[in-house]
Amino acid sequence: MFSNNRTGWLLLSPTILILFLVGLVPFFYVLYVGFFKWNPLAVDPSMQFEGFGYNYRQLIFDEVFLSSIWRSIRFAVVTLFFELSLGFLLALSLLSSFPLKSFFRGVHTLPLVIAPIVVGSIFKLFSVQGLGPLPHFLKDFFGYTLNYGLNADQAFWMIVIMDIWHWTPFVTLTLLAGLSALPQDPYESAKIDGANNFQIFIYITIPMMVPVLIVVIFIRLMDSLKIVDEVWMLTGGGPGYATRFTGIHIWKEVFEKRFYGFGSAMSILYLYITIVICWLLYSVMVSRGKSED
Amino acid sequence: MKKLLITLLVSTFSFSAMADGHAEWWKKAGAPYAGTVLQGVAENTPPGQFAGEVLAKEFEALTGIKVQLENTSWDSMYDKAIKDMEANSGIYDFVYIEQDIVYDYLNRDFLVNITEGLANNPDLQAPGVSLDDFTTFIDYFKDGSGDVFGVPMEAFIKVYLYRKDLFEAADAKAAFRAQYGYGLSPATSFDQYRDNAEFFTHYCADNGMECWGTTVQGHTGHPASTYEFLESIGPSFGLYNWGVNMDSYQSCVENGGQLNGGRAKAALNFWTQLLPFAPPEALQSTWSEVGASFAAGRAAQGWVYGENAAWIATDSEKSAVVGNVGVMLPPTAPGVMTQAASGNGYIGYFDGGAYGIPHSSKNIEATMLWLQFIAQNEVQADWAIAGGRITHKATYADPKVMAVDEQADGYFTLMRDTGFLYAGAPPFPFHGAGRAAIDPFIYKALAGEMTPEEALDGACQALDKVMSDLGYQG
Repeated sequence: MFSNNRTGWLLLSPTILILFLVGLVPFFYVLYVGFFKWNPLAVDPSMQFEGFGYNYRQLIFDEVFLSSIWRSIRFAVVTLFFELSLGFLLALSLLSSFPLKSFFRGVHTLPLVIAPIVVGSIFKLFSVQGLGPLPHFLKDFFGYTLNYGLNADQAFWMIVIMDIWHWTPFVTLTLLAGLSALPQDPYESAKIDGANNFQIFIYITIPMMVPVLIVVIFIRLMDSLKIVDEVWMLTGGGPGYATRFTGIHIWKEVFEKRFYGFGSAMSILYLYITIVICWLLYSVMVSRGKSED
Repeated sequence: MKKLLITLLVSTFSFSAMADGHAEWWKKAGAPYAGTVLQGVAENTPPGQFAGEVLAKEFEALTGIKVQLENTSWDSMYDKAIKDMEANSGIYDFVYIEQDIVYDYLNRDFLVNITEGLANNPDLQAPGVSLDDFTTFIDYFKDGSGDVFGVPMEAFIKVYLYRKDLFEAADAKAAFRAQYGYGLSPATSFDQYRDNAEFFTHYCADNGMECWGTTVQGHTGHPASTYEFLESIGPSFGLYNWGVNMDSYQSCVENGGQLNGGRAKAALNFWTQLLPFAPPEALQSTWSEVGASFAAGRAAQGWVYGENAAWIATDSEKSAVVGNVGVMLPPTAPGVMTQAASGNGYIGYFDGGAYGIPHSSKNIEATMLWLQFIAQNEVQADWAIAGGRITHKATYADPKVMAVDEQADGYFTLMRDTGFLYAGAPPFPFHGAGRAAIDPFIYKALAGEMTPEEALDGACQALDKVMSDLGYQG
């Protein structure tokens, strides 16, 4: 048995080794550090064990951390809604023929190949007060003042718009691939039975797309919950705490304040919360899919 | 580009002259390390660019040792340097040490003792290089026993810049006197500063100019705003050492600190009330954007870091206000100047940095040569002209520097004569953690989410908690 599989294990071993080194080892190290009170800037810079729950107990009462989680979840839900809606719409459009379709598809995909930090830079140059064209345009044509350095809501929605711009193409392409692979028989049967386009979409397309949607939702949800780079470049987490999502908050605790133990505990807890959210979502979607079957 | 080429030519000429004297020594000293590549990381400032683009090439030509200096953003520089030193990975042979982080680095034993290293390796001691040639700024990079851990490569004072053309405009003078009842002039008091700011905001708008009354380094998501408050505005109101009681490490008034005291609140009120008179980009401006805004002619006056003062005043390729820049000490509250002169306070930030060698460097000896190369008197004048920085006493008297000083309205002279009124950051090993605790409150005060009083009450509590958590409050 083992000798039959030896070649397979041999081929797999580099992947397993890499996953072990870059995935499991850091994870267990962070888990370990999370049990210690440790800040190299302290009078006593050594790692001090204060009980397994020391950092986690503090986290439960850390308003800034808790508010950053709610902010991140709100951000993830809002962006997911818009990206899915827009992405589905664009994917359906790209299924049909229209002039310059290939050109549009190419241009539409461009944001995907841009690094997040560059996306943040582009939006900053585009929207910074006084110098960027967007505030001028909004002021001159609509009398609207855009100043996300001052207005917390504007800062939040600027980041939402930036994320939608960046990631909707990914949703579009994935859904387009799913739509293109759907069998045509159910559609033909539905048309013969007299279903209109809306009914076909609701009762045929969406149910058949559930597996693809689950994949897209999970990928985007997890990405949105760990957003850092673009926000870092555009607002730095401000004004105040307005755009301090959990990823940025952890960065600040770990690399600015050097609370390594506390920051590690935050990372672990946030990972746990992310897994729970995804598991709940998965359970709901799967159970709903089964009930519709 | 033209300016850079000229600088290169001038530098090559002057370095060749320098090299005639000690070229053989440098060749001989560098021979064992020829082919070595030294990696450095630093903040992207004009002096850093000169070091990477000009000095590094000259050093390589003499010694065969290549220097690759990665000039990057302030945040990125710290991120890379600290991670490298913490992990002991040895990626960087030298790192930029900003004055305010040196106590952290020394506390964590990141840096090589340069004095000791040179004493133990007499063969590495370059002729004509003496650490005594530096200004007193080098003292910030010494430990308690006087050993040097960083070779200063830039030093500036944060000055008050103003637009001479605006302040001297006849119609502006007349309108100002009519409105405020006294003559228009650069500010020496905070009331006057505010009046100037208000006046020029309206004056510019009325005359169709894209300019405002003052700069404000008020980014609501970047530590630059906290630094502006703690290191410039606060001290000019008499708030020293972040308001921290240096004996008890408490910052709230009720515990003996000053961070939420009357002077601090007056300072933050003054500063936040300037926002209506600042360019719209003020709340997204760090030190770089403030320099750029002033250079673009978008502000009539402001606190501007010295690293930007010289090029704003002299570089017509980057600055629209060349020939119109006035330089002065910033306004101060009554009594502050006296306290600063007697050594019991300071009026603003003595900014700057040094290159130091991490223990993790794999090329410590070759890096010692590089640091001595940049410490030579001969390279200082061109470096001062290119980067607006002076770290050697003799540089002030160099004819080339004096010529630029004249163009820059006496910025270098001001630094020489009044540098003692300024101070670097307080010696807090917990600098980064403490500042990060204060940041959100300053951001909220700037964004109007908190009053200055509420913000400072919150800031002092947050700072006290950090100092307590870290064990500094006994």
